[in-house]
Amino acid sequence: MSILKGKNIVIIGDRDGIPAPAIEECVASAGGNIVFSSTECFV
Amino acid sequence: MNGNAVVKGTSYVLVHAPDFVINNGTTQTVERIVNPDSDYLKSIHSSIRSYEEVLAYPPNQVYLGNLTPKDLEDYEFPWYDKEVADAKRFGKYGELIPEDEFIALMQICDAFDLLALEENFVSKAKEKLSKHPLINETMLSKLKDGQSLEAIKEYIDEYKAEPLYFNREIVGYVKRAHEIDDTLSAHVLLENLAYKASGVLALLHLINNSGIDREAIDYVIDCSEEACGDMNQRGGGNFAKAQAEVAGFVNATGSDTRSFCAGPAHAIIEASALVKSGAYENVVVFAGGTVAKLGMNGKDHVKKNIPILEDVMGGFAVLISKNDGVNPEINLDIIGRHNIGTGSSPQAVISSLVTDPLDRAGLKITDIDKFAAEMQNPDITKPAGAGDVPEANYKMIAALGVKRGDLERTDILNFVKNHGMKGWAPTQGHIPSGAPYIGFAREDILEGRIKKAMIIGKGSLFLGRMTNLFDGVSFVLQENSRESITEDTTRVIVKETIEPLIGIVAEDSELGKDNVLEAISLAENKGYRAVLIEGDEAHRKMDDMLRKKEIDAAVTMHYSFPIGVSTVGRVITPGRGKEMFIATTTGTSSTDRVEGMVKNAIYGIIAAKASGVKEPTIGIANIDGARQAEKALRELEQKGYDIKFAESARQEGGIVMRGNDLLAGSADVMVMDSLTGNLMMKLFSAYTTGGSYESTGYGYGPGIGEGYDKIVLIVSRASGAPVIAGAIEYATQLVKHNCLKVAGDEFAKANRAGLKQILEGLKDRKPVATDEEVKPPVKEIVTVEIPGIEIMDIEDAAKALWAEGIYAETGMGCTGPVVLVSEANISKSKEILSKAGFIK
Amino acid sequence: MDLENQKRVKEYAEQFGPENIVVLLGAAEGEAAGLAAETVTAGDPTFAGPLAGVSLGLKVYHICEPEIKAEIDEAVYDEQISMMEMVLDVDDIVNEMTAIREQYCKY
Repeated sequence: MSILKGKNIVIIGDRDGIPAPAIEECVASAGGNIVFSSTECFV
Repeated sequence: MNGNAVVKGTSYVLVHAPDFVINNGTTQTVERIVNPDSDYLKSIHSSIRSYEEVLAYPPNQVYLGNLTPKDLEDYEFPWYDKEVADAKRFGKYGELIPEDEFIALMQICDAFDLLALEENFVSKAKEKLSKHPLINETMLSKLKDGQSLEAIKEYIDEYKAEPLYFNREIVGYVKRAHEIDDTLSAHVLLENLAYKASGVLALLHLINNSGIDREAIDYVIDCSEEACGDMNQRGGGNFAKAQAEVAGFVNATGSDTRSFCAGPAHAIIEASALVKSGAYENVVVFAGGTVAKLGMNGKDHVKKNIPILEDVMGGFAVLISKNDGVNPEINLDIIGRHNIGTGSSPQAVISSLVTDPLDRAGLKITDIDKFAAEMQNPDITKPAGAGDVPEANYKMIAALGVKRGDLERTDILNFVKNHGMKGWAPTQGHIPSGAPYIGFAREDILEGRIKKAMIIGKGSLFLGRMTNLFDGVSFVLQENSRESITEDTTRVIVKETIEPLIGIVAEDSELGKDNVLEAISLAENKGYRAVLIEGDEAHRKMDDMLRKKEIDAAVTMHYSFPIGVSTVGRVITPGRGKEMFIATTTGTSSTDRVEGMVKNAIYGIIAAKASGVKEPTIGIANIDGARQAEKALRELEQKGYDIKFAESARQEGGIVMRGNDLLAGSADVMVMDSLTGNLMMKLFSAYTTGGSYESTGYGYGPGIGEGYDKIVLIVSRASGAPVIAGAIEYATQLVKHNCLKVAGDEFAKANRAGLKQILEGLKDRKPVATDEEVKPPVKEIVTVEIPGIEIMDIEDAAKALWAEGIYAETGMGCTGPVVLVSEANISKSKEILSKAGFIK
Repeated sequence: MDLENQKRVKEYAEQFGPENIVVLLGAAEGEAAGLAAETVTAGDPTFAGPLAGVSLGLKVYHICEPEIKAEIDEAVYDEQISMMEMVLDVDDIVNEMTAIREQYCKY
């Protein structure tokens, strides 16, 4: 069973890891439904 | 044509801010609201580091320039439990200012009477600041009388002022500037005053480090993440001018550039473009530090039993100037930029900033010797879960190189090691973003260790909730191509490609004109260039030609140097044929013997360095005052001025040199008073000829003194052709090694180590003259010398003339000290001086 | 995890039902990924935010974990993530994430 397809996805990206917009592109390609997306910054 | 701007100087400062961490850092202020009884808040006091601990923290010593990024690799990670053994407050780039002095500096920067201090605190802080080498009287005079602690506490309670703490005690407050307006609240104003003061400190150090006249700065760009304004213009800005005003840049205008952490890189590109276009000549890009980010990751640090490492504010300044053919250039043809359409994936960001611009310039990733992206200290970020940010950036660049085929996957770690660095910057937002390496990059390039460095700024625009975009720009700093000068200044091109031109005035030679012509031909045979300046007013012509840069330096038989300037001779010692600098040989460094000898040591170091001796050793001739001079020089060395002391060749060693050491040349620079030095010059130059003809060595050397801006070398009337030719060679070397810049740098370093205070301490405290201070009359051109006055009385003689309404200056003539007056005043002046007993 | 982000996670879990939410992380390190994962499963370990003491037990993954990568269009993954995959310590991240899921995930 797929994890992302058709699911409500909350994205917590990281400025110094993978930022949220890059994850958004991936989720969209997998058919996930993005409900919230934000990038955290520790520096 | 390539008119790329150059990086002419940099400064880096840190502010020790433990009480601001506790009371003003947002992590702590938020915690106090949401979780007032938390363990974190209870344990915070025991997690704060002392000034000494912060000073000895290895990354901080790198930031100040006392260690290099490479040195940091020698400290085993983590660093918070390591200490630098000989940590210093002042480094070659700046200082770590203690919190109490900083709070006083905040008041100096307060233009609206917003900051009040407690009386005992302010008087102690003022005392400390008065010893600061870069804080002048005008700045000190802005400190206000303190208030009682009671009055301070009452005001804080009644008007919601923001308290200021030192050593955990209330020592003052910042008050609000408006009752309703949030943007002028006490909280915002405290942050902004602290920001302003740290930026001002960076500007002061930049002026000191670069040796530029503060009035020569014509534009300033503040590139921080801070904002100032009121409720109708929240980000109204121009922090830049507010700070440059305090630093005394009266001829500058300026503005602010913002892009979160990418601000500095944007601002440097803008500054370089402004300079390259010719709009401005000297532009300063700078920033102070941020209070809000203090202790930002403190919870993670405390949880892991690490002291709170985000306890300093940072600041820096970079001077971008017109191409001088020497300093590293900012290559505006290789600019990386994250465009709006670039996207946010890390590889899109890194491609746009690193590989796209290199592709456009036909360069490979490995053509850049060092990259500086975000130089955050991993000691701070790793415990907080953000990883090692610089290392991640280097790995990203390498990984991109692998994807492009520039590198093998197995090369990634090697690439990180060779083209990267360990991070040393505090997590102060705009501070780490590429900027901390610019100072080291400039030196690495100037000293030939690297050719190209890429500085990368990256910013998180999404934090402002206006866009999800990322941001970043990059630029390349590279070795000066020396093609900078265009057709309209051909003379300068000539100057760069062929030998400097040395002017010679030798009207008084006892050996005749042929001797001088022979000297010129000897020098020309060795590839040097010299021109004879003749005629009635040869000295005036010489001055003119120096001013118009028609000649680069001059050699002459006598010259009136001002008091404070004396000449450093250069001889060939007979023992082993070794060269030695005699500091000094004519002129007067000071009317105080010991002070003069200490200054002579510095003049000697300057002359030796400007002749290509990298680390000259210093010895003091065993004459009256030698021990006191030694004591002062050792104190100067301990306070951070780098002196290499020579060892006597005699059995007992030591830096005081005997006659044998002079003959053997045991020191590169031999320090003595100028009368003794003059005697030595004549002995070393003429001992083979019986005295009437000086046949060996380089002559009496260049006049050196703080702020003296000409290269004029002295030879004697008995100097033979080989010595005059030697003086031409000596002059050429001084020009090529940029003697005036070397002098500026050395004086700056010595002053930073407290030279002035040490000299002050040397002088016998003579009773202050009881008669009131005499003001000089209106300045006029003075051309006539009155000789025959005792050196100790020379200043009093000038003042005696001033008191009678005659303008006079003091100087050194060829026979000793002179007072200079105008032609019209000569007979009256002689009469006054004679009556007062100054002359016979 | 940022307080605002905790608040939003909590709201969406209430709105859609915790079983219908998947949290995807982009953290730079295993430890940070683990902390964020713990926050949305067991509750905020720092006891600072709205999820302190709230055990949502949400499904949570890091974008670099193999089961997530398998569901993403290959070209998109290559363009957006592949470079960072080389940079990050993916094994460490996978270990941390797996441990948290095994311990706290309810769905």
